[in-house]
Amino acid sequence: MRETPKKRYTYYPGCSSLGSAAHLDKSLRAIAPELDVELEDIEDWNCCGASVGHVEGGALPNMALSGRNLAQAASQAPDDIVTGCASCYLNTHGVNEKIKTDIRARRRVNEALGAADLCYDDDLQVRHACEVLVNDVGLDVIRDRVRNPLDGLEVAGYVGCQTVRPFADTDSGGRYDTYDDPAFLDNFAAACGAEPVAYDPKTACCGGSVSVHSPDKTLHLIKEIVAAAHDSGADVIATPCPLCQQNVEMYQAAINKRFGTDFHMPVVFYSQLMAVAFGLDGTAAALDQNMIPPAKLVDLAKKPNE
Amino acid sequence: MAGAETATYDLGFAKWVAGNISGADKLSMCMQCGMCSGSCPIGTQMDHGPRKLIMMIRAGMRDAVLSANTLWNCTQCYNCTVRCPRGIPVTEILQGLATVAVAEGHAGGEPTARFSEAFWWSLAKFGRTDERLVTSRFYFSAGLAEGVRKSRENLAIALRMIKARRMHLGAPHKIKRRKNLQAILAKAREIEARGAGEGD
Ligand code: SF4
Ligand code: SF4
Repeated sequence: MRETPKKRYTYYPGCSSLGSAAHLDKSLRAIAPELDVELEDIEDWNCCGASVGHVEGGALPNMALSGRNLAQAASQAPDDIVTGCASCYLNTHGVNEKIKTDIRARRRVNEALGAADLCYDDDLQVRHACEVLVNDVGLDVIRDRVRNPLDGLEVAGYVGCQTVRPFADTDSGGRYDTYDDPAFLDNFAAACGAEPVAYDPKTACCGGSVSVHSPDKTLHLIKEIVAAAHDSGADVIATPCPLCQQNVEMYQAAINKRFGTDFHMPVVFYSQLMAVAFGLDGTAAALDQNMIPPAKLVDLAKKPNE
Repeated sequence: MAGAETATYDLGFAKWVAGNISGADKLSMCMQCGMCSGSCPIGTQMDHGPRKLIMMIRAGMRDAVLSANTLWNCTQCYNCTVRCPRGIPVTEILQGLATVAVAEGHAGGEPTARFSEAFWWSLAKFGRTDERLVTSRFYFSAGLAEGVRKSRENLAIALRMIKARRMHLGAPHKIKRRKNLQAILAKAREIEARGAGEGD
C-alpha cells in the first residue's frame, strides 16, 4: 500500500536510556518502524557530559566526549544522527556545529581524539527526534498511522527548555518551531487523536540538573508546571525531555508535602502517546515505567493479544 | 555577600574572560538591557542576575564573579541566550565561568560542583553515567551524616524508580573501549592545560 522508502538514522540513545528515561527509548524504538524509520545505534557510545560535565571536566574534555561519538557515528554511516534526549542533543549538536564552524575547536578536538586513533573530519547532521518527526516524517504521516485514536485524553504539552532552546529556530536546528510558544508537541497530541489543553508553562523551566541535586531551590518551579496542568483539567502531562519527565514526576510527593497540594499528575513522553495511538500495547509503550500510572492512557492502550 | 567596598578589582579580567571563555568574545556587545535577568526563572535566587554579572566582569570584579552563586544556580534553560537582543551566548559564558571557578577553588562545597564531580567520575571511569552511583557519590560528598540523611530522604523515590525499572542494581553500565575514552580525555586535559596563550 505505502511505498515510502525507509529513512535511516544513526541513533544516540544516551545514558538516560539505560535508566531514568528507559521508557522514552523503548517507546521511540517502538514507534520508529511504524513511521518507516530505521535506527542504528552508535556503537559503544559514551556519555555526552549532560549539563554538568563541563564544570568538573573542563570545556575541551567535555567536547571530546561528543567528538568520540561523532567519530564513531561517521565511521558507521553518513546518515544523520538522531537522539531523543534534550541534553544529548544540546551537547552533540552543539559540539558538531562548533567543529564545523570553528577551525581551532576542530583541530583541538581531533588532537584529543588522536590519542585513541580516532578522527572526526566529517559533515554529519545531529538532529532532535522531534525535529525529525516534524520535518522528515511529517504530521500527516503520523496522523495516518493512528489506529487507536486517543479519544477524550486531555494532554498538557510541556516542552521544557533544552529541546527547543537554543537550537529549534536555527538553520542547523531545522527551524521547526519557536522558543517561547512551540506548537509541535500539541500537534503531536492532536495527531494522535488527543486533546491538547491550553497550557501556559509550556516552556517553563523544571530546574534541570539543579532540581536533581538541590530540589529545595527549584520545587516551586515544578509546582507551577504541575498546577497549571491540574487546573486545565489535563489527564496527563506529555513532554519530550528525560530530565523534565523525571523532575516533574518524581517530585510531586515532595511538592504535596511542602505546599499542601494533592497532585498525582502522570507525566508521559509524546512517544508513549504515539505508541498507544499507533495501536501498540501498553508494554511496547512502556506505560509500566511511569512512576505515576497514566490510568486513562493505560485504559486506551490495546491489551496484548487484542 | 561581598559588598562593593570589599571587592578587589582586576582590570585585565574582562579581557581575560573574552579571550579564554567560549562565547565571551561577544561580551563587549552587551548593552545592559536586562532582558537576560528578566527572563531568568531562578534570578531571584541568584546573588546577581546575568546582566549584573556581566557588569561585574567589565568592572574587573574577578573574585566576586567567580564566587557568585549565579554560576551554580543557573539551570541552563537558555532563555537569556535566545532572548538577548545582542546575540550574546550568556548560558555558554556562565558555563565557562563555572569551570574556571571550580578549577581555581571558588566553588567550595557548592552542590553543583559536587554533583559535577560525581558525574564526571562515573563517565570517565565507565564511559557512561550510572544515575544510582552518581547520586550516592554526590550525597556522600558532603560527609557521611549528610549522605545517610539524603539517602534516607530520597529512598522512596529510589524504590519507585527501581520498581519502574528506571534504576538498576547490578554492575554499572560500561562502554567497551574505556581505555580509548580515557586516553582521549587525558589528552584533552593536556591540550587545555597548554592554555590559550600559546595560540592553540
Ligand atoms: S540580554 Fe544581552 S544585551 Fe541585554 S543585558 Fe543581557 S547579555 Fe546584555
Ligand atoms: S540559562 Fe541560566 S542565567 Fe540564563 S535565564 Fe536560564 S537560568 Fe537564568
